[in-house]
Amino acid sequence: MSKFAVLIQVNLKTILRDRILHAILGAVVVGLLLVPAISSFSMRQVQELAISLALSGISFFLLVMAILLGSSSIWRDVEQRHTTSVLTLPLSRTTYVLAKFAAIAIFLLGTGILLGICSIPLISVAAASYPSDQPILWGNLVVALCGDIAKSMLIAAMALLLSSISTSFYLPFFGSVVLYLCGSASQEVYEYVTGEFVRAMHPLVIVIIKSVYCLLPNLAAFNYKVQAVYALPIPFEQIAWSVGYGTLYVAMILVLAVLTFNRRVLG
Amino acid sequence: MKGRLALVTLVLAYLCLLPGFIGQMKERPIEVKLGYQPHARVIRLVSGEFSPLVAEMSVVNLLFYYGTLVDKWQKNIIIRPEYMNMFRMLSTVSELDPYNQDAYYFAQAAFTWELGRVKEVNMLLERGMQFRTWDHWLPFYAGFNSAYFLKDYAAAAKYMQRSAELSGDTLRTKLASRYLYESSRTSMALSFLDGMIAREKNAAVIKTYQVRKEALQAVDTIEQAVLAYRQAKGGNPAQVSDLVASGLIKVLPRDPYGGEFYLDNDGRVRTTSQFANPDQR
Repeated sequence: MSKFAVLIQVNLKTILRDRILHAILGAVVVGLLLVPAISSFSMRQVQELAISLALSGISFFLLVMAILLGSSSIWRDVEQRHTTSVLTLPLSRTTYVLAKFAAIAIFLLGTGILLGICSIPLISVAAASYPSDQPILWGNLVVALCGDIAKSMLIAAMALLLSSISTSFYLPFFGSVVLYLCGSASQEVYEYVTGEFVRAMHPLVIVIIKSVYCLLPNLAAFNYKVQAVYALPIPFEQIAWSVGYGTLYVAMILVLAVLTFNRRVLG
Repeated sequence: MKGRLALVTLVLAYLCLLPGFIGQMKERPIEVKLGYQPHARVIRLVSGEFSPLVAEMSVVNLLFYYGTLVDKWQKNIIIRPEYMNMFRMLSTVSELDPYNQDAYYFAQAAFTWELGRVKEVNMLLERGMQFRTWDHWLPFYAGFNSAYFLKDYAAAAKYMQRSAELSGDTLRTKLASRYLYESSRTSMALSFLDGMIAREKNAAVIKTYQVRKEALQAVDTIEQAVLAYRQAKGGNPAQVSDLVASGLIKVLPRDPYGGEFYLDNDGRVRTTSQFANPDQR
């Protein structure tokens, strides 16, 4: 087994042993079990609400996991001097950072798939209680779930980047929360300033907003919930653009994280 | 050991306290308020990917609120609904998630019969039709509203035609032509309500429909008797009691809204309740 694979394995074991994560996962599973009961409160879109609740619950869990795992990774290893011992081995800092991310990504992928599988019977039960006019397109649900997993990986990469320059929990945690909020709203703001109200704004402000829009992660690119909930068609092109954007953005962030960590002085 | 003993004591005390506490909580007056909702754009910015869920939970909140009001009305406790706030909330929901059918269906259920906000409801339904392109109920409702409330039969026929095309239901095409001729409006309303009740699952909304249906059935009975009176005597009865006196109706039907039926100058059946609960008149 390569050093990279061993390092991933070690990191993954550390993540899986974390009891706080167990507690959060347990809470999400209980929440998912309530999906059929809660969705029955809807007037006529019981099935739609069940899908929406299940996907939102999974997405929220993945988001919390990504932020917690990403923001508590590198700076804590530095603080507890784990890096000092690990990096004395014939391991590059690049391998160290990438293995950290890979372990988080594998965890997010695994739990995402697991929770997705758990939600299938729950959605089916809710849908059977009050059949909808629209069918359940399971393929759309898979796309939506993959979008949420990809989004959480991107957030984890950002948290990891902030963690690589930080000396405490606060910057990576709150920084990634702020970046998540900005990334979720960026498309909305962009559409607003490029819409009919654009005349009321100074052109310089619009240029600044558009530049910030390009810099911030566009998390709307990974949001396929509406298509999954209402069985709307998802063009393949749209998925391909999301995949391309996500891959490049995560790669850029990881390179930045590696460069930052390579320059960091370890005490 | 001391710690465990303390914990057990506290748990036991808690268990003893629970029944009384739950009873007291049940007795507490419920504040029947819908609350304030920020502008749709603000909610979209804050909720991001969770916008559809926020929209649906707002509708569920609205349904609970409306259900509480209907429950109070049945106990003769009249609380004036925050209709403007309710409608604003539904508009917000349709902006957050334009595919949300509950918002359109609830607007149809609560704002047409009771409040007469038919134009606003039809605007909301038009918005829904732009997104829910497969949904034949939205043009069906808009068509019904146009014909029954607005008496705009051209618009009604257009909506009904669209509904018929989407549903493949020939009955709707017939309805479209019937709207054009404005025939038998009360019985049309009754068949419309039957359709709504059959598809509804919210108890509070069903209850309001049933009351409305009962009122319309009463009107239909009187209308049929007026028609028979005209055919027999060549003119309109002076008052509804003439129908009972002439043996066309055994007993005058009751208005479930608490009003009394009468005939206007054209011989049309009216009620002093205006088909509304006392607080809504």
